[in-house]
Amino acid sequence: MTMTGVGSPPAPPAPPGELDAAASPVNRQGLFQALWRSPNGRVGLVLVGIVVAAAIAASLGGTPYDPQYQNAAALLQHPTWSHPFGTDQFGRDILSLVLDGLGVSLEIACLAVLIAGAIGTVAGVVAGFLGRWTSAVIMRVTDMLFAIPAILLALIVVAALGAGWLNSAIAIGVGYIPIFVRVVRGPVLALRESGYVMAGRVLGFSRSRLLLRHILPNVGGIMAVQTSLALAWSVLAEASLSFLGQGPPPPTASLGEMVSQAGSLAATAWWTLAAPSVAIIIAVIGFNLLGDGLRDAIDPRTRKR
Amino acid sequence: MVLTVFGVSVIVFLVLRLLPGNALTSALGVSAGLLNHAQLVALDRYYGVGEPVVQQYGSWLHAILTGNLGVSLSSRTSVVSLVGAALPVTFELAIAAMLLGLLIGVLFGVFGALRPGRLVDVSGQGVSVIGLGVPSFVIGTGLVTLLASVFQYFPSSETFASLTSDPWLNIQQIFFPAFTLSLGIGAAIMRTTRASMLEVVGQNYVRTARGKGLSRHSVTWKHIFLNAFIPVLTMSGIQLGYLLGGTVIVEQIFVLPGLGRLLVESINDRDFPVVQSVTMIFAAGFVVVNMLVDILYAVIDPRIRNR
Repeated sequence: MTMTGVGSPPAPPAPPGELDAAASPVNRQGLFQALWRSPNGRVGLVLVGIVVAAAIAASLGGTPYDPQYQNAAALLQHPTWSHPFGTDQFGRDILSLVLDGLGVSLEIACLAVLIAGAIGTVAGVVAGFLGRWTSAVIMRVTDMLFAIPAILLALIVVAALGAGWLNSAIAIGVGYIPIFVRVVRGPVLALRESGYVMAGRVLGFSRSRLLLRHILPNVGGIMAVQTSLALAWSVLAEASLSFLGQGPPPPTASLGEMVSQAGSLAATAWWTLAAPSVAIIIAVIGFNLLGDGLRDAIDPRTRKR
Repeated sequence: MVLTVFGVSVIVFLVLRLLPGNALTSALGVSAGLLNHAQLVALDRYYGVGEPVVQQYGSWLHAILTGNLGVSLSSRTSVVSLVGAALPVTFELAIAAMLLGLLIGVLFGVFGALRPGRLVDVSGQGVSVIGLGVPSFVIGTGLVTLLASVFQYFPSSETFASLTSDPWLNIQQIFFPAFTLSLGIGAAIMRTTRASMLEVVGQNYVRTARGKGLSRHSVTWKHIFLNAFIPVLTMSGIQLGYLLGGTVIVEQIFVLPGLGRLLVESINDRDFPVVQSVTMIFAAGFVVVNMLVDILYAVIDPRIRNR
């Protein structure tokens, strides 16, 4: 959420006829290459790839065992070939539970980021582009939301709505809205005064055309960065909520809840704690590094360092 | 600032009024069915349940401003006494974690930036990856397990001792949760310190200071660090939000009777007077500290003071 490296991109030297061609700072091909060149981006991309593949596999039913199948003959077993991450106190296969939990976690995180991104971006663009009053009101409300620590905001929203899959996503999304508003508003403020937006205004383009075709594409880069960081936070927040017992109720698999359960078992059965923890850590670090990498790739100034 | 806290109170109030059903009947549980209609009406009036939302908010705000946080629905004691007992614990935990985090972050950040790529820098980067990537509840759970299995030390075995009644036991009980929280803060502070230091190190006045023969210590701390400190301060203020959220989780793991634990318990009990008050206290604390950070800017940087 630091604002470093978020300036107004240079106005594209476009001939008048092509003024509408959305000019993002880096073209698609170049973006991927730049992402792969930055060490952060490369590691992040690989980790996120693993996590997403695991989550998709799980949601398609590709877990080695039924995650909820309780094998009474195999309680708290060490990791073996048949159970690579061991089994828990009910004899469930931990690998299957972790995969399933990752799937649930990513689903909630994606929905949460979609909510936060949609509301936050609209509010941020409006606050940056429209008049002083609208902006003042939106920023005031943002300050207020910002004053409640995000995880607490999520916690009380979940408390009010009741625990559940959708409610977790809403709660986490609400917690992240203020960050999107702030991150989007700054560049929009700068872009509003930039040469090509002025030119568009002189040419008599409508407000919505200026917003949708000239301003939004240029905010796309930092939004991509922020989306990745938001996903990292959402995975963490989802795990935290379920760790506190406010996540989706069982039988929905949940990594945070697994860590919480493992707290009393880990002294004798370390693998019950290790597997879900490592899954959360890989997802969180992966999305964070991907965000850093995207920032490096989009902003040539940090890329040179 | 007052406006912000006021707005927070509106948000918290509205969010908690979203809940379906009646907080009162859910708090009373089965025993609600045993009450007759007149008793229910009396209770409703006592807790202000049936009134219009604006009026409820007004009376709640009035009560808060006069220092009456209401009565806990589950324990029937006043919220003020519950909060009063829990606040010092969280306060101490937050301060200890912040100090530890600053210590870790500033030391690794400063010495890492002075010799980029060397041992201190690399180990600092390692710590920061752990601090940023490993959630506090994983660190905490792991730490509790480690303490229990290796040192036979169980943080929850003794009741909490306050700093005044048994200082030594208190420090033992606060240290590990504070350490758990401080890793995340320390990592963020370290990254900011390092980046900010690196920008200042190359400045001309640093070369001048070295050139005129000032001691390395003096150059590092007076000329480089002080000029690099503003972003660090900003980051510390932002991290406080993370810290306050983190106390909720860490108090749960280490069984500390603080505000965070009170909050989770009262959420589980659907005890909304307590939830409202505790959330308000967290938010007010966050706002106040960030205001102090703004004041500190001026203390540290004469350019801001004279503007």
